[in-house]
Amino acid sequence: MQILRIALFTVTIAGCGGITDPSGLDKAATLDRDEPGVSLPEPTLRRLTQAQYSNSIRDLLGEGLIFPSNLEPDKSTDGLRAIGASLTTISPRGVEQFEDAAFDLVTQALDVDRDALIGCEPAEVVDDDCAREVITAFGRRAWRRPLDDDEISTLVSISATAAQTLEDFDQGLVYGLAAILQSPYFLFRVELGEQGESGVERRFTNHELASRMSFLLWDTIPDEALLAAADAGVLTTDEGLQTQIDRMMADDRFEDGVRAFFTDMWTLYELDDLTKDPTVFTHMSPEVGPSAREETLLGVVDNVVHADGDYREMFTTQRTFLNRKLASIYGVRAPEREGFGEAILEESSGRRGILGQVSFLALQSHAVNSSATLRGKFVREVLLCSYIPPPPSDVDTSIPEASATAVTLRDRVAVHLEDEYCASCHQLVDPIGLGFEQFDGLGHFRTLEQGATIDPSGDLDGASFDVAWGLTGHIAEHEDLGACLAQTLLAYGSGHSITQGEYEAVDYLTEGFQFMDYSIQFLMSDLIMSSAFRQSGEIE
Amino acid sequence: MKPLSRREILRGILGGAAVSVGLPPLEAMFNCSGTAYAAGGGLPVRFGLFFWGNGNLPERWTPTGEGTDWSLSEQLEPLGSVKDLITVVSGMNLHTDNIYPHTSGASGILTGCNLLAYEDGRQDGTFAVPSIDQTIAGQIGGDTIYRSLETGAMPGTDGNSYNGPNNRNPPELSPMAFYERIFGASFREPGEEGIVDPTLALRRSVLDAVMGDIDKLNARVGMSDRARLEQHFTGIRELELRLARLQEDPPNLEACLRPESPASEYPEVEGRHPVADIHRAMSDLLVMALACDQTRVFSHWFSDPLTNKLYPDATMGHHSLTHDEPGEQPEVNMVTRFIMGELAYMIEQLAAVDEGDETLLDHMVLLATSEHSRGQTHSFEEMPIVLAGGACGALRQGYHYRSYTGENASHVMLSLVRAMGINAPTFGVDAGEVSDGLSQIET
Repeated sequence: MQILRIALFTVTIAGCGGITDPSGLDKAATLDRDEPGVSLPEPTLRRLTQAQYSNSIRDLLGEGLIFPSNLEPDKSTDGLRAIGASLTTISPRGVEQFEDAAFDLVTQALDVDRDALIGCEPAEVVDDDCAREVITAFGRRAWRRPLDDDEISTLVSISATAAQTLEDFDQGLVYGLAAILQSPYFLFRVELGEQGESGVERRFTNHELASRMSFLLWDTIPDEALLAAADAGVLTTDEGLQTQIDRMMADDRFEDGVRAFFTDMWTLYELDDLTKDPTVFTHMSPEVGPSAREETLLGVVDNVVHADGDYREMFTTQRTFLNRKLASIYGVRAPEREGFGEAILEESSGRRGILGQVSFLALQSHAVNSSATLRGKFVREVLLCSYIPPPPSDVDTSIPEASATAVTLRDRVAVHLEDEYCASCHQLVDPIGLGFEQFDGLGHFRTLEQGATIDPSGDLDGASFDVAWGLTGHIAEHEDLGACLAQTLLAYGSGHSITQGEYEAVDYLTEGFQFMDYSIQFLMSDLIMSSAFRQSGEIE
Repeated sequence: MKPLSRREILRGILGGAAVSVGLPPLEAMFNCSGTAYAAGGGLPVRFGLFFWGNGNLPERWTPTGEGTDWSLSEQLEPLGSVKDLITVVSGMNLHTDNIYPHTSGASGILTGCNLLAYEDGRQDGTFAVPSIDQTIAGQIGGDTIYRSLETGAMPGTDGNSYNGPNNRNPPELSPMAFYERIFGASFREPGEEGIVDPTLALRRSVLDAVMGDIDKLNARVGMSDRARLEQHFTGIRELELRLARLQEDPPNLEACLRPESPASEYPEVEGRHPVADIHRAMSDLLVMALACDQTRVFSHWFSDPLTNKLYPDATMGHHSLTHDEPGEQPEVNMVTRFIMGELAYMIEQLAAVDEGDETLLDHMVLLATSEHSRGQTHSFEEMPIVLAGGACGALRQGYHYRSYTGENASHVMLSLVRAMGINAPTFGVDAGEVSDGLSQIET
């Protein structure tokens, strides 16, 4: 079984055209692992994130609609909004917003392209056959499964009553379609699994798998081809599943999925709300945050989608994508007059990889100054999956103000590292963060702080470095880097924090990821093919 | 006889709701002892919460003097214009656990209960039980268009209005969006007639179908999902009731007017959000939402715990200031005073609305508090608590109560809940639980 899967996979890599080095194909075929059993927690409903809602509406109703600016906000839990989505629900205000949005968006779509939405011509104001045709097709896409007869007749009847009242077939149908978009079957991802024959683990159904993989790879609902595969029942076979993975990774929407994962994992959504004091940071303007996110995501997409590259290179690459705003912060020539262009950063710039970018350096800082603790904590927790407990509530956590003998942040935070109590946690994070001190709170390169020379040297778990350039190399080579990404992707794809019964699955995924030179495409595909993604826990 | 299903009960309610209710004479409406003006029974006493993040400086907060003979402190001095309308309660402590800086305190003060505990201890903190605004809304929020309203002033605010674990009511942060929600197309001023609109019934038929979907799905999911779907169901049912009420004639309230529309944008000024402008616009709308009896419960999240936004004239983010500003923390003091000045604005506006011989503020209580006192140490001692309004004569005004024994802040919360006419035996859970109010602030 194992060999068959790997053999299939080699075909698919060739199929999606991502790997240019033919030796990579041979490599996947020589990967020899035994997949461990998993014990999974109870499956739970996941509320669509704001992005998933918008993407799904785009797929259902077409491009060019104006979205309500106000929708139920996402909430991050344990580092991921994907996990928060499994815990939170829909508030009374959220119900109002989804109701407003449903009517508004369906009405807009009718104005933009009526025939795309309603494929039949009603014979009269009330035409149940035509309504049934539209609702059956629209409902199947929106709910990611075929509707049953009761569901269809309820929606047809709502539409008929509305058509009668409003004396307009199309306007009547608005009510049926708006009902579909307010249903928990649309707003929540209903992936609950089903019990197969005795002795076989509970697993997700064909349509549930279509939904799971579609939201993971595309951050939106399945397309017609994927639903057809689910209808045909082939997603519960290795071959059928792999075929769809390859097709989906070659599709343009794969970029959306990759962006969504990295945005969530690295909290890049917070860049919408970046606060910096413009009197301290003269480069600051409202476009800095969104620009910084785009720089990071262009690099991620380049690595994962276009090159099928090595995850470690995200930390060491000198190549990046800048617009004029970012180029001015980095002190380099803007590659393009308008928009983003590719740039190569020299070693003299001090920066490389995502940890040399404003998205990290500014976000993990305060409004007027940098923060060794926040930057170090990001590396430890988000990139290496260590747990740093919150500071105890009842201690004075202030750091001494600058003085003649302690000018730089390193001198001032020394107290964290000298006090045994503070040091137990701060020694894990501050030395890493101090390695980035040659970048101020916005990400501007500097060698002096208040006239004193900044010492950015240190060591990361025994590997010493002189400047951030060296530190980023050590992070790229850190033994926990690959396992952390595998664990985070599993949590993201499953919508829950990793539980005891999944640790071996993380090890299994990590082994493949590392063996395949940290290919994220391989990891994503490997995850979807794994039991941890296809099986489900019991409902209690 | 077979028991009625939820949907059947709901249809029954709705079937009976679309009738006008005879209005009692004006003077009887708001004297706090007559009958309420609509839907029969229950006094129109209201509850508001003003919450700000990152605490205060307790040594500059506590008023001098006690009882009715007291003077405002340095930090409370901006409340001078409303001193006779407020009660300051000082020296109260949180008796709940202080584990997660800021989050534990928000839960402690607003619920009297610890955060929800997870097995591995590394989850984000979520409240375990409803926050006080929702505890109250659950009892007195049922007769108005909105069970409760939530607003915020500082951009990015999440608020802490909890219906239950992981289940928050997100505050509206845009004054324009809030205006359109409350006073938009569906709003009717006193004297105007209820909405006659056939689409209301059609929208209700859609909501009915959605509730049917929820019921069906409920049978397939686990325990935690059932609670989540229950909340979704509640939200739909409330919307359905709201649509039904739109058909009724609006309540005949003398102070109710459609307010002016606020600005659509509030751009930053020198990297600082114009938080006072946003707050004042929201305050004006909230005051009118109460005056028009659109709701009887609101929570206004001036800023969140942990907020690190820049306040006007501050040289560091607020949270950074509380930890890193040296010495006597003059900037922290400045920010706290700024916030108290904005609290004064809200109180003034509530007191400016006449209801019969009294004012809107007389018929409500506004609780102003934060998640801890001193930010630098996240202290649970000397919690900042300011109350405004008399809750229809149930609470003292112009008063300073000082506790010298670090009494449980839950005593205050229980007094407030009871002042809403709610017969609550206790407030809080375990170490935070009390069964007595704070009699000194009650009349």
